[in-house]
Amino acid sequence: MATLAAPACATAPASTQSGLWSWIATTDHKRIGTLYLWTALAFFLIGGLEAALIRTQLARPNMGFVSAETYNQLFTMHGTTMVFLAVMPLSAAFFNYLIPLQIGARDVAFPRLNAFSYWVYLLGGIFITLPILFQVAPDGGWFGYAPLTTNQFSSGPNIDFWVIGLQILGVSSLAAAFNFITTIINLRAPGMTLMRMPMFTWMSFVVQFLLILAFPPITVALVFLLMDRFFGTTFYAIAQGADPLLWQHLFWVFGHPEVYILILPAFGLVSEVLPTFSKKPLFGYNVMVYSGIMIGFLGFGVWAHHMFAVGMGAVADSIFSLMTMLIAIPTGVKIFNWIATMWAGEVRFTVPMKFAIALIAMFTIGGISGVMHSSPPADLQQTDSYFVVAHFHYVLFGGSIMGIFAGIYHYYPKITGRFLNERLGNVHFWLNFIGMNLTFFPMHFSGLLGMPRRIYTYDAGQGWDLFNLLATYGTYLLVIATAVFVWNFVRSRTRGAIAGGDPWGAATLEWSIPSPPPEYNFAQIPTVTSRYPLWDLKDPSWHEGEDSHGDTGTPGPSPLREETETHTAKALGIPMPYPTAKPAFAALGLVVMFSGLLFLRNDLFAVAMTVTLGGAAMLIGGLYAWLTSPLE
Amino acid sequence: MPKLSLRQAASTALTAVALLALSGCGFTEYPNSTFNHHTDFNTAIDALFQRLIFWGTIVFVVVEAGLVYTIIKYRKRPGGPKPRPIHGNAALEITWTVIPALILVLIAIPTVKTIFQTQADAPAGALKVQVIGHQWWWEFRYPELGIVTANELYVPVGRTVEFELTTRDVLHSFWIPQMGGKRDLISNKTNYLWFTPNADLGTSAWNGFCTEYCGSSHANMKFRLYTVQPDEFDSWAKHQASPAVFSTTPAPVTTPVTPVAQVSGADSTAPTPATTIGYVFPRERLETEFPHVIPQTPYPTGLSFDDALLAGGDPARGANEGFMLGGCIGCHAISGVPGAVSEIGPNLTHIASRHTIAGGLFKNDAPTLARWIKNARHMKPGSLMNTIGRGEYDPILKTTNTGGLDDRQIADVVAYLMALK
Repeated sequence: MATLAAPACATAPASTQSGLWSWIATTDHKRIGTLYLWTALAFFLIGGLEAALIRTQLARPNMGFVSAETYNQLFTMHGTTMVFLAVMPLSAAFFNYLIPLQIGARDVAFPRLNAFSYWVYLLGGIFITLPILFQVAPDGGWFGYAPLTTNQFSSGPNIDFWVIGLQILGVSSLAAAFNFITTIINLRAPGMTLMRMPMFTWMSFVVQFLLILAFPPITVALVFLLMDRFFGTTFYAIAQGADPLLWQHLFWVFGHPEVYILILPAFGLVSEVLPTFSKKPLFGYNVMVYSGIMIGFLGFGVWAHHMFAVGMGAVADSIFSLMTMLIAIPTGVKIFNWIATMWAGEVRFTVPMKFAIALIAMFTIGGISGVMHSSPPADLQQTDSYFVVAHFHYVLFGGSIMGIFAGIYHYYPKITGRFLNERLGNVHFWLNFIGMNLTFFPMHFSGLLGMPRRIYTYDAGQGWDLFNLLATYGTYLLVIATAVFVWNFVRSRTRGAIAGGDPWGAATLEWSIPSPPPEYNFAQIPTVTSRYPLWDLKDPSWHEGEDSHGDTGTPGPSPLREETETHTAKALGIPMPYPTAKPAFAALGLVVMFSGLLFLRNDLFAVAMTVTLGGAAMLIGGLYAWLTSPLE
Repeated sequence: MPKLSLRQAASTALTAVALLALSGCGFTEYPNSTFNHHTDFNTAIDALFQRLIFWGTIVFVVVEAGLVYTIIKYRKRPGGPKPRPIHGNAALEITWTVIPALILVLIAIPTVKTIFQTQADAPAGALKVQVIGHQWWWEFRYPELGIVTANELYVPVGRTVEFELTTRDVLHSFWIPQMGGKRDLISNKTNYLWFTPNADLGTSAWNGFCTEYCGSSHANMKFRLYTVQPDEFDSWAKHQASPAVFSTTPAPVTTPVTPVAQVSGADSTAPTPATTIGYVFPRERLETEFPHVIPQTPYPTGLSFDDALLAGGDPARGANEGFMLGGCIGCHAISGVPGAVSEIGPNLTHIASRHTIAGGLFKNDAPTLARWIKNARHMKPGSLMNTIGRGEYDPILKTTNTGGLDDRQIADVVAYLMALK
C-alpha cells in the first residue's frame, strides 16, 4: 500500500472544529456523511447480532434458545434494522460524502436540511430499536401485514413503535432525497453535464426519485394503520369488512422499489471501483445510465410479484410475472458491462476490488433465483419458504453489502486520509465471502425441501437439519469477519498508512483534492471537460483512438487542477454554512411529537397531548429559528 | 473463451443439479421436497421449475465463468499488456440485451400457460374441502359429507380435491410441499386451490404448513394430509360424519347434571352413533413408513403431570364433570352432545381418531392431552386455549389459575376424549 501513498498533505487535519458540539451543530456534508457512516455501522452490528441470535435458535430442531415471542421480535427487527437503519443509511453516508465531491460542489443544496435528515434518522432509529431491550419490540415482521398488526391481534405497544418509527424515518429519507435531487440538478461544476456525472452520482440520482415516489404509498399505509390503532378507524379492521390486501398493495408499491433503493447505490459504488482497478473507463457508460433508470422505472410495475399466492387471478399474475422478467434485462446488462469493464484491463486485486468482483458473482445468483420467483407457478412453491430468504440475501448481502464494503474500503482513504489495513481487509473479505455463502446457499435447499420462513422452530426429521446447521456456522463466520472489519475500521483511523489525495489512481473529481478533503472541498470550483477528468489531467492522450461513446468532451489537456494543499475556508475567503444545532433541535421535536402517541395506548390522553404538542412546539420553534437565521 | 470447456462446465453443473433434484425425491430423507410429481399441480410446476433451473444454470455458468476468466486473464502482471481504454461496444451490448430477452421469452410462454392451467376452475366432481385458518390451527370441513375436523385431512387418490380457503382471523397460507404450490387465506375473501393426487399414489402421509406469518405460534401451525385409497376414504368419511361414539354404561351416581345418555348421543333425537370405527390411517404405518408426520416436539420444562392418574381416568366423569363443567364446552363442539356446538376451538367429535393435536405440534396420546389441557399456553406459545389446570401459571394473563381442574379431573377428561374414536 505504501507505494500508492502520495506524500503530499500527509498531516492535513479534516477540520479545525472538534468536540461533541461541533458534531451536533455541523452542517458540513462530509461530517454528516461520517455521522451517517458510524451510526449506520452501529445499526448494522445490532442487526447482525439479531441475525446471530436467530441463527442460534435455528441451529437445531426444537431449540429453546429464545422464546417464540422473542424470536418474532428478533426477525422483525433484523429486517427493519437492516433495511431502514443499516443499508439505506450506509448508502446515505455515501450520498452525503460523495455527491458534492463528485460533481465539484462545496456542499449540498440545503446543508441544514441535511443535518435535519441525519438527526431524524438517528433519533428515529433509537426510537424503533430501544423497545427490544424491554421485550416490547415490533413483532409483526418488517412487512407488517394487516390484519395481524391491527389492535384486534396486536394489542400491545410493539407495533406502535414500528408504525410510528417508520414514519419518522420516512421524513428523514424524503428530506434527504429532495436535498440530493436539488444538489445534483443545481450544483454541478461547469462542464459537469448529466452524462458526464460519475456513475455513483447517477445511480444515487435515480435512487432519490425512487425514494420520493416510493415513500408516499407506505406513508399512506402507515397513516391508515396508525389511525386504526389509535383513533378507531377501520381501514384494516376485518370485523368491519376491510380488505387486508389494501395493506399489501400499498406496502409493496413501496417495498419493491425499496429493493432498488437498497441495491442501486451499491451498483454505483462498484461502478467507481471497477474502472479504477481495471485502469479502464466504465464499459458502456450510457447503457449503464439508461439501465439504471430503466430498473428504477420498471421497479414500480412489479410490486405484486410479492403477492402471487394471494389469489389475484391468472391475468394479474401473468402481467406482473412478465413485468418482473423484463426487469432482469437491464440488470443483466449491468452485469455484462461490469465484466466487460475489466476485460482487456489491468485488474488489481485490492480489497475494494475484491468486494466489487464479489458483488458481480453473488448478485448474479440472487438475480437468477429472482427470475425463478418471477414465474408464479414456480413461485407458489418458493414464496414464504427459505428459498426466498436465500434469494434476497444474495441480493442484499451479496449485492448491497458487498458493494457498500467495496465503497468503504475504496473511500476510507478519502474520508480519513488513511488506508484500511490491507491484510485485515483480506481476512475480512474472505471470511465474509465464505461465511455469506455458507449461511445463505444452504437456504436454497432447505426452502426447496419445504421449510417455511419466519418460523421460530422446526421439528426434527424434516430433512432440514444439516442445511440449518451449516447456515448457523456461516453466520458465526460472518460475526468473526465483521469483528475483524470493525477492528480494522477503528484502528486504521489513527494507525493506517497515509493515503494522499489520489491513492488509487482514480479518474473522478473527488480524488483531485486532499484526503481528507478540506471543509470547502474545492479551493477553486473545477471545470470539467470529460467523464474522467483526472485521467485526462495525468495523461491527456490516455484514450486516443477509442470511440468515446457519447462523451463529447473537448479532447486535449484538462483544465482541472489537482489541489494538494489544505487551508481554512476563512483564509481562502470561501463562505461556509454556519454550524447550527437548530436542525437537530427540530428533529428532536419531531420525534417527541410522534412519541406522544404512545401514551394513547394506555389512555393517558392528557400526557399524550402534552408530549405531542410540546414536540410540535419544539419542531416549529426549531424550524422558525432555523429559517430566520442566515445560512452563511 | 473456448467453447468446449464452457459446455463441459455447463453439463457438470447440470448434473449436480439433477443429482440434487433426485436426492430431493428421496422420500425418507427429504419428506417435504418440492421436486415431485404426485399430483397434476406439482407435475406442472416442476416442469416449469426444471426449465428455470436449466436456463438459470446456463446463465450462472456463462456469467461466472466469464467473470473468473476475465479477472485471471487480465490481472495485473509485470510486463503485461497496457489496458485498452475501450468505452463501449454497441453491437456487444445489444447482443447481451437480446440474448437474455430471448431466454426470458422461453420462460415466459410456459409460465403463462401454466398460470392459466393451474388457476382454471376445478374439474366437475371435485371433492370440496373447506379450509378455515385459525390462530394457530386448521379447521377442515367436507360440506358434502357433513364432516368437521381439525389439523388432519384425508383425501382419496385419483379424485380432484378443491380447497375453499378462508380465515377466521389473520392471514395464513395453506401449503403441502409434496402436493404443489401454496395459496393464502385472506380475511374477507375466499381463495381456491385444487389438485388431483395421482390415482396410482399409495396410501401415504404428508406434512402441511402455514406459510404466512400469523403471530406467536406461526411455526406451530401445521397439519397432516393422508392420501388414501377410495374405499379407505369412504370408510373414514362415513365414520367421521357420524356423531360421537362414546357410550358408557350408566353414569356414576355422583354425576351432578346431564345424564350420560345425553352425552353419549343416545338421545332419541340424535343420530345413532356408528357401531364400528371407520378407517383411520394406521399409526404403526406412520411410525415405520412416514415418521416425518409424527411430531417430536418435546414437552416444555416446568409443566408436570402425574401420569399414573391417567390409567384411572373415568370417561363418564370426564364427560360430565370435566367437559361439561370444566369449561371445554365453551369452545369445543362434539357432535351428538347437546350444547357442545361452539366453533371457537377444534371440533372434538372424533378426536381420538387423530394422530396429532395442537396444530400438528404434538402427538395425540393421553400424557400429551393431559398436559395440553392442564396448560396449553405453556405447551404452545400464544395459544388461545385457556389454562385449565388448577394452580397453573397462565403465561398470557400472567396470573395463576385458582379455579380449573386438578390432575385427577384432567385424567378423567383425557379418558373421555380418548374414547371419542
